[in-house]
Amino acid sequence: MTTHDSRSLFAVCIDQAGCDDLSAGMLYRVLPDEAAGSEGFLRVIDDSGEDYLYPASRFVIVQVQPSDEPKLLAVAPASPG
Amino acid sequence: MDFELIGELSEIETIAVNLSIREKTDLKARYGGRRWRKLKGVGLIRLPSGNTRRAELHWYEAHGIGRRKLKIKRFLD
Repeated sequence: MTTHDSRSLFAVCIDQAGCDDLSAGMLYRVLPDEAAGSEGFLRVIDDSGEDYLYPASRFVIVQVQPSDEPKLLAVAPASPG
Repeated sequence: MDFELIGELSEIETIAVNLSIREKTDLKARYGGRRWRKLKGVGLIRLPSGNTRRAELHWYEAHGIGRRKLKIKRFLD
């Protein structure tokens, strides 16, 4: 994964096979994790509400207008742990 | 699953016994069982790339059901 600035990242799940805490077509918040990125994984706040590592191939990164980020963050809360 | 656990887990700890209503309902509906707990441990995993990494893993367990929803929390090495 490339390095991103302080802007928030979002991704849509395109492959939930075998994952009970992902839903295809749903938007997820992505948190920075360089170690995960170097292995082709993303740190995603999944349906459990916590952040875990999933292969980046299960997602498409979504570009969001800066003005829209606060609206998405309001409905995509940070992981509790 | 997106990885293969190689060998046994170590440093196993229970991190939650009082799961949220949502978690309990989901686990019972999917797998049955009672008294679900959330645990964490450390294990060696093989990734789809073929690389092996030491990782902190989280999962749920209930008596007689075994490990479910084994997920990678972070790479440790």
